[in-house]
Amino acid sequence: MLYLLLIFFPITMAISTFILRRRSELVIFAALGTVLTQVWIALQLPIDQPTRFLGVTLTLSTLGQVFLLIFLGIGVFAFVAARHLPHGENFVPITLLTLAQISGVLLLQDPFITTLLLASTSLTTVLTIVDLPVGASALVSTRVIAAALKYLVLMVVATVLMYIAFVLTDVFQPGELPGRISLARFILALLATSFALRLALIPFHTWLTDLVDYAETLVSAVTITLLNTTSLLVLILVFQSYPMLLVESAEVLFVIRLGALVSVIVAGLLALAPASLRRTSAYLILYHCGIVFYGLAAVSELGLAGAIFGAFNQTLAVMLLFVSLGLLERPDGRTPGVVRRDLLRRWPVAATGLIVSGLSLLGLPPLGGAMSHLLIYQAAAEKGWLELSILLLGTLLAGLGLARIAAERLLGPGEDTLVVEPLMLGETELDRPPQRRLEPEPPSAAVLTLLLMLITLGVGLYPQPLLAVIDEAIRGLAFIQAL
Amino acid sequence: MSINWLLLGIGITAAVILLFRDWRITVAALLLNYVAQAFFLVEQQFISGDLPIFGFAVSTLLIVKVITGISVALILGITALTFSREYGLENLDEFGMAELRRAARAAQRQRANQPFQFSEYVLPFWAGVLALLASLILPRVYAIAPTVASDFVWYWLVLTGILTIATAVDVLKIGLGLLLCVSAVDVLYMAVVSTPDASGLNVIPLALLSLFHLLLALAVAYLSGLLYGRLKTLDLSELYR
Repeated sequence: MLYLLLIFFPITMAISTFILRRRSELVIFAALGTVLTQVWIALQLPIDQPTRFLGVTLTLSTLGQVFLLIFLGIGVFAFVAARHLPHGENFVPITLLTLAQISGVLLLQDPFITTLLLASTSLTTVLTIVDLPVGASALVSTRVIAAALKYLVLMVVATVLMYIAFVLTDVFQPGELPGRISLARFILALLATSFALRLALIPFHTWLTDLVDYAETLVSAVTITLLNTTSLLVLILVFQSYPMLLVESAEVLFVIRLGALVSVIVAGLLALAPASLRRTSAYLILYHCGIVFYGLAAVSELGLAGAIFGAFNQTLAVMLLFVSLGLLERPDGRTPGVVRRDLLRRWPVAATGLIVSGLSLLGLPPLGGAMSHLLIYQAAAEKGWLELSILLLGTLLAGLGLARIAAERLLGPGEDTLVVEPLMLGETELDRPPQRRLEPEPPSAAVLTLLLMLITLGVGLYPQPLLAVIDEAIRGLAFIQAL
Repeated sequence: MSINWLLLGIGITAAVILLFRDWRITVAALLLNYVAQAFFLVEQQFISGDLPIFGFAVSTLLIVKVITGISVALILGITALTFSREYGLENLDEFGMAELRRAARAAQRQRANQPFQFSEYVLPFWAGVLALLASLILPRVYAIAPTVASDFVWYWLVLTGILTIATAVDVLKIGLGLLLCVSAVDVLYMAVVSTPDASGLNVIPLALLSLFHLLLALAVAYLSGLLYGRLKTLDLSELYR
């Protein structure tokens, strides 16, 4: 019963919040209550005790529970941030619906159902991309519609490829038929392409850059943190369910690893090129996606632990990145339409958040990403010095990209130095226009950003509990033992 | 040699979607494609009759597939019929209204300056020929489904779907291409999973597949409506201008 409650309770609340969507404050509080109830339900669920419902197995693994709690935590952060950051009028109901679908993905073990649930999350995300705020007086931008259309097409193509692969696994028999491509290789190639599309690996990344460029920051945050990480977990589940695919396709695994390396290095190069704050942030995320995917494609205990840890770090860092970005883009009381270079002075908490999230994505100690990077570098070292060098070079390039954007937009001298001019003849103090007072950062959003920074730092300084959970989960994965 | 009319129906309707631009023709072809697919699955005995209606054993899945097809066609058809209606203008400011007027003028000019050109159909036609050749060869080279006919159907649907997306000039047509691709997956799933060696058909994936068709149609209809409301045209070139 609790399993069904975990899936259907947020759906009913999504419907309720959709009806009340114009009352933003009420809807946000209702959503927060829903997510906290979800956390309680997730904690009550028995671990690794499968149950059957309508011929489908429902079960929650340790790893699934950890990520479910992380996703719900991200939901809480998103709803709190929604009080201050711009978002569409349907953002809250659709995020609740997405959380319900993701709960279903983590609970249901059937690959067909998982694929369709992942696909339906993408369809609901399309609606949030083109969503306008309550009572908006502007038209939706054509670029936003184009970004939504691109996302829709690529996600449906990914679904089709993934579904075909799962249909083939259903009739897959180990061993090759003479005179045709091994079915295992074909399936793995289909899966690799579909997950590369979902995880935005280069050259399948354009949906992510467009999303980050044109969608509201909160929409990008929820889409990338929830959907990409869930896709990664599904891929691990696939490897666990069909270990023979990996055993029979060592060459395909090498190609996948090569693809991840290309993704890391190209993303690093793109981050170096002059681009906006949003675009550079997108390239940093792409770089991190490549690193995580490499860890998974390494198919070793170290690589997998690094990939799972990296996925966890990505959810935190990306949330922090977009909350900071959203705060930095708020109207700041100064002349609009001017590219500011003193954002650290103007918005100190948000700008620090952006730098910290970028450094965490790069894996700089003592932040959350350091441990995952270390594990993935170790996995790469096992494969040879060349692969490790490429990863390190990619990290260096992405780091230079972050330094560039920080120098261009964040660390510049203050642009608000007020020059006090002497009073003119006949002028009094009362004749002068009132002194401009710039608003400080919204306190609750600043606290949220600080909290996310502290969590990132905490995970970096004390990763042992999370590592222990990941190690335990990996020990239960048959495909790692088989390889 | 007997002609498989259902196979022919699926082939022709998918080709019509690939070739033509008028939504009245393509949405009608999509509906016929869904109906032909449903009867094809019954004919190939992937699903058996379990519901007695007027003395005939009709499959529940057949009814579900037909209802899904009708719903998808209705969603897209009703959306296309109501394109000219204006929604949510009450909150728009003067700049927004001016932008809409400008878009309407631009769309009208474009329609007036674009007479019928036969050359626009050359690329989809040859793409269709290529898809046909591939769909005829692939079932022999790389057979996956239990019968050649079902292999041809899913290869043909997926290839015409992809080529429809690739050659599309408007949003609605991209949606039709996506729906053809999902239909291909539907046929492949039914054909392969219902074989004795496979895990067998399960009601939840089938229900979710039908739901996915509807959600996809809704998403395409929503985006099309949004784009038409914004630019008074579905043309993709205007979207990226």
